[in-house]
Amino acid sequence: MTTQKMIDPRGPRFGAAITTGLSLIAFYLSLSNQQLAYSTVVALGVLFFWSVLSPETHPAGLVFKRFIKPRLAPPTELEDSRPPKFAQQVGLTFALIGIVGGLFAPVLVTISAAFIFLAAFLNAFFGLCLGCQLYLVLRRVGVLR
Amino acid sequence: MDSTLWLTLSLLGLGLAAGLAYRFFHGRGHKVVGNECINLEKLAVSKNGDPVTTFGKTATLVQFSTQYCGQCPGVRRALAKLEYRNGDVLFIEADITDRLNLAAHFNITQTPTVLVLNSAGVIKYRVGGVPKAGTIESELTKLGVT
Repeated sequence: MTTQKMIDPRGPRFGAAITTGLSLIAFYLSLSNQQLAYSTVVALGVLFFWSVLSPETHPAGLVFKRFIKPRLAPPTELEDSRPPKFAQQVGLTFALIGIVGGLFAPVLVTISAAFIFLAAFLNAFFGLCLGCQLYLVLRRVGVLR
Repeated sequence: MDSTLWLTLSLLGLGLAAGLAYRFFHGRGHKVVGNECINLEKLAVSKNGDPVTTFGKTATLVQFSTQYCGQCPGVRRALAKLEYRNGDVLFIEADITDRLNLAAHFNITQTPTVLVLNSAGVIKYRVGGVPKAGTIESELTKLGVT
């Protein structure tokens, strides 16, 4: 068993709050200004990709570490970094649906933004990480190892 | 009000409704019917280094955890405290990270999942997620734990 990286669970939740805002804007714009909406979803995709590739250098993580964490009490519990990372991959998948699908059918941008918003909103404000819940289920089905 | 704003607000409302429903249902346990008895040999958990072979005198609490589960340690502490307060209660924890067959058998979709067993090891109550305050205690009282 390898030792896993443990993280402050409030870090991903802070990131989710930012994603919540961006995806809600993307959703609103997708119904009024397609081009801006598309750029916003691309930005979301880049952020997801960044946190999958290198979570340590992700801007939201740096802001959290630099400005938010010092003002909070020390965490009562640390969290394994695997499920949040997996959740970011799920987020990236949805962003890609918007980015690639949006080229052919603009409605996919709206759908992608809506899903990203719901998942990020529930994570940020209710502590429910849909991607993390999926992690065990998908491992059980045998999709993940 | 234009439809764009209206749709955006609906999405926000949907998220809020889902979140409130989650808050309401999460950790709310339910009675288990069917009298399934836990097979300690198959569960094969150890406690303080020794394999667990007998149930608690009046009740047993089984917690299913995974290594990557963030809220499991907190629940473990809470349940261990209940065990400590009452010698007739046994608390055991099964790590299902690499034992997905166990997860499949008990149909565990989230960790922690807590089972409350009676003195004979029959599953009486089940909670998915972090149990709400007092649920486990009141189930133990029903089983005769004072």
